[in-house]
Amino acid sequence: MAPKTAPMTVPIAALSDDQTHAATLASLPGMTPVRLSKVLDGFRPVTALKALRAGIHPGDPARKFGAAARKTDVREVEERYSRARVQVLLPGRAGYPSMLLGDPGAPAVLFAKGEPAVPEGRPRVAIVGTRSATHYGRQVASDLASELASAGVVVVSGLARGIDGAAHAGVVRGATEGAAPPVAVVGTGLDVVYPSSNSELWSEVAARGVVFSESPLGTRPHPGVFPARNRIIAALSDVVVVVESHYAGGSLYTAEAAARRSIPVCAVPGSVHSRASEGSNALLVDGCTPVRDATDVLVAISLARTGRDMEEADPAPSDLGAASQHSVSTLRSGSAPRSTPGSTPRSTPGSAPVTGGERHAAGRSGVAHQAHGAHLEHLAMTDPQRVVWAAVDDTPTAFETILIRTDLSIPAAAEACQKLVEAGVLVSGAGWWSKK
Amino acid sequence: MIAAIPSAVLIGVDGKQVFVEVHVSNGLPGFTVVGLPDTAVRESRDRVRAAFLSSGLSWPLRRVTVNLAPSGMRKGGAGLDLPIAIGVLVAAGELDPGAVDNTAFVGELGLDGSLRGVPGTVVLAEALGRYRLIVAAASGREARLGGGVIRTSSTLGALVDRLSGNRPWPEPGDPESDDPVSDPSTWTPDSSPRSSVSSHSGQDLADIRGQRLARRALEVAAAGGHHLLLVGPPGSGKTMLANRFPDLLPDLPRSTALEVTRVHSVAGLPPAPSGLIERPPFRAPHHGTSPVAMIGGGSSWMRPGEISLAHGGILFLDEMGEFSATVLDALRQPLEAGQVHVSRARGSTTYPARFILVGAMNPCPCGEGGAPGACRCGSSARERYARRLSGPLLDRFDIAIRVDRPQVDELMGRGHAETTSAVAERVARARLRAVGRGVTVNAELEGSMLDERAPLCRDAARLVEHEVRSGALSARGLHRVHRLARTVADLEGVNGAVGESHVREALLLRCRRELLLGSEVR
Repeated sequence: MAPKTAPMTVPIAALSDDQTHAATLASLPGMTPVRLSKVLDGFRPVTALKALRAGIHPGDPARKFGAAARKTDVREVEERYSRARVQVLLPGRAGYPSMLLGDPGAPAVLFAKGEPAVPEGRPRVAIVGTRSATHYGRQVASDLASELASAGVVVVSGLARGIDGAAHAGVVRGATEGAAPPVAVVGTGLDVVYPSSNSELWSEVAARGVVFSESPLGTRPHPGVFPARNRIIAALSDVVVVVESHYAGGSLYTAEAAARRSIPVCAVPGSVHSRASEGSNALLVDGCTPVRDATDVLVAISLARTGRDMEEADPAPSDLGAASQHSVSTLRSGSAPRSTPGSTPRSTPGSAPVTGGERHAAGRSGVAHQAHGAHLEHLAMTDPQRVVWAAVDDTPTAFETILIRTDLSIPAAAEACQKLVEAGVLVSGAGWWSKK
Repeated sequence: MIAAIPSAVLIGVDGKQVFVEVHVSNGLPGFTVVGLPDTAVRESRDRVRAAFLSSGLSWPLRRVTVNLAPSGMRKGGAGLDLPIAIGVLVAAGELDPGAVDNTAFVGELGLDGSLRGVPGTVVLAEALGRYRLIVAAASGREARLGGGVIRTSSTLGALVDRLSGNRPWPEPGDPESDDPVSDPSTWTPDSSPRSSVSSHSGQDLADIRGQRLARRALEVAAAGGHHLLLVGPPGSGKTMLANRFPDLLPDLPRSTALEVTRVHSVAGLPPAPSGLIERPPFRAPHHGTSPVAMIGGGSSWMRPGEISLAHGGILFLDEMGEFSATVLDALRQPLEAGQVHVSRARGSTTYPARFILVGAMNPCPCGEGGAPGACRCGSSARERYARRLSGPLLDRFDIAIRVDRPQVDELMGRGHAETTSAVAERVARARLRAVGRGVTVNAELEGSMLDERAPLCRDAARLVEHEVRSGALSARGLHRVHRLARTVADLEGVNGAVGESHVREALLLRCRRELLLGSEVR
């Protein structure tokens, strides 16, 4: 259960020995979060580093890290983290998010910039979705986030392009007195802002709330880090809302990670013509709770929290507990038939559109490349064309709307629209354009 | 004794000189008017007699016969009251014939002896240019536009005194003269004060939030004289945009200003403060307007219609789909010819009618234009509605755009929109370039002149060819796009060939029938 008193901010300058050693371990070349968990399993970081250096660590039978560990200077790492004002959070110590404790995939070390106590004691919702979002999706994400934050709900998202960024932008934009601060979980190191177009938003979120990452400083974006990041987003939240997701889109990882943790998954309905809504609509068909506005989400959050409190208050043996947990999530989020806690989603039959297998396949090829993105890779679009492409919906979009969204000049927008029609990716009607 | 007093009557928009011949003879007292007078002229008998008595003049107790020569032409209007009265005075020997030598009179008499102005004074004065002309004080400004020597008076009694030399003509500043011009003898229309921006409608483009495309369409339409159709749901600002259109146009050139002033004068509309109408008129007739009111005509008195009153300016048809099909189709020929020829049993006349047509209509009967979820019209209802604008009429529009309701962010306003004066400046400069091409505005460039006077650059030609080949552009549409592109280039200040980007913008603005079928088309 979450501690009643929120822990105090970790003083930035003073990193304890354990913290500096944990950061050093995380920064070793070739170290991944999974290996780090193994290395730190049952060891204090100081001991673990010593054991690695001595080549006697049972978690590193191949002695892969010995040489690197001997070379690395702990003081130098400490200085880097202090200079970057990045905090190092360890499970069970001050600042480590309490909801990650006991999570099967809890990161052994978590880095934070901002105020790590933000999620504690507050309702939390993850708003996630595709990176190549339509204007509709961005609008919904931003509106939902803004209203929920005003209602005191912490919005957790990934600071990515598209829906994630729109959600955070919504929180920042709608920040009123008493609004909940934003929480972000990113895949890269906390000194690498990705995508760079979000850099302003990134610092804004860090200034008002907190940005978490399990990757050490200097980690560049690569396909592997994003699905892993998504599990933390799910684990931090009471409810996950998928605003728009392509078929086999990356945000379905978050949904799956949430389902595995019995965290209710909600989805925002989209046009059946819109490819950006294929994944989210499929979630609805699978039985996820549809949400239209902030009120729907608030209801889902309160149901989730009462349901969990009941389970936690219930001293019944685990069998019964698991069953009730199952039914709660079935009833409230509809996410359960695919995954009961601990079971693998792959084994579940009958959820054709978004089976784990397909998603994993998409994951291997790089979550980033969703249907549209991949399709357009070879097009070599000019800047205005890219902007126009982002502004046009799957449904007819008026030229005036394109102008408003892109802020391009009329000739530039006209040219971009017409060129995209010539390239065969947009269709045009009388005064409107839409994606093919 | 006999007197012949020159005067003039209106025939269409022209003044026709007539002579009012008055014969006073011994016999039974009586008063007859012959020479095809209409009702207003016949009634002038009673007005003239009453005005005599009110002015303290004695009515001759003899037989008075008035003939309006030439007698074969039908004469109307009350402007003959004054020449009849003067004729009676001269013929009865009350006024020295020398006093009215080479002098023409136009004016209506009130029963109290006051003198009133009559419609069409400008053209009447033109017709009487070789005489000294005496009109009502209220018509002085208009009469001076017609040229010649003008004298005014506000009552019959005072006029008689002055003609007899008992009283001087009113001097500047004289309370009897409501003439604003300082010195009547040296005043010419050329020295009239230019109408300033303050005399405009007072509505500025800067008041309109968002609507960048619509603004641009207005600018291009104003610069090239292109007819413009705005399609959009109620509340999207179509009327607001159209109302701001006239202020984008430059002042009328002098010849057009005279034409406009004549037409307005003939129709009896109140004259401009300076006499000459220098700003383009803006006419917005209601959709219930009858064909005659729109085109001109009338059984007893020919009157210019709305299209002629809009000459030199803008005819704005709001709710265009609600106009009767007869009225809309009657517009086609004048739109092409720039004038309208109205024939009636009693004669025929030609009115000028060169205007920019601005149409506004909803995309469908319910107005929501097929927006999913909002529109309640079936597709057949939408099509029927779209058909109200016949193909040939729709072809006259060079520009047609969709105007949607502004979005919340725009209403709450960020940034400043351009003001009317800034846009008007660009429009004026672009129009100058068109004049260098031998036309007043680019809309007058015919298909045959286009290639020679407004050549396309190679890329632009290739783009146009591509559009025609792909079937997106018809032959007529091709000329339209070409003309529009020239205007766009003029606005950009491009002197040479029309570039590719200009054609792209023209493709965006051109009129297409599908625009009327709503946005659900896929």
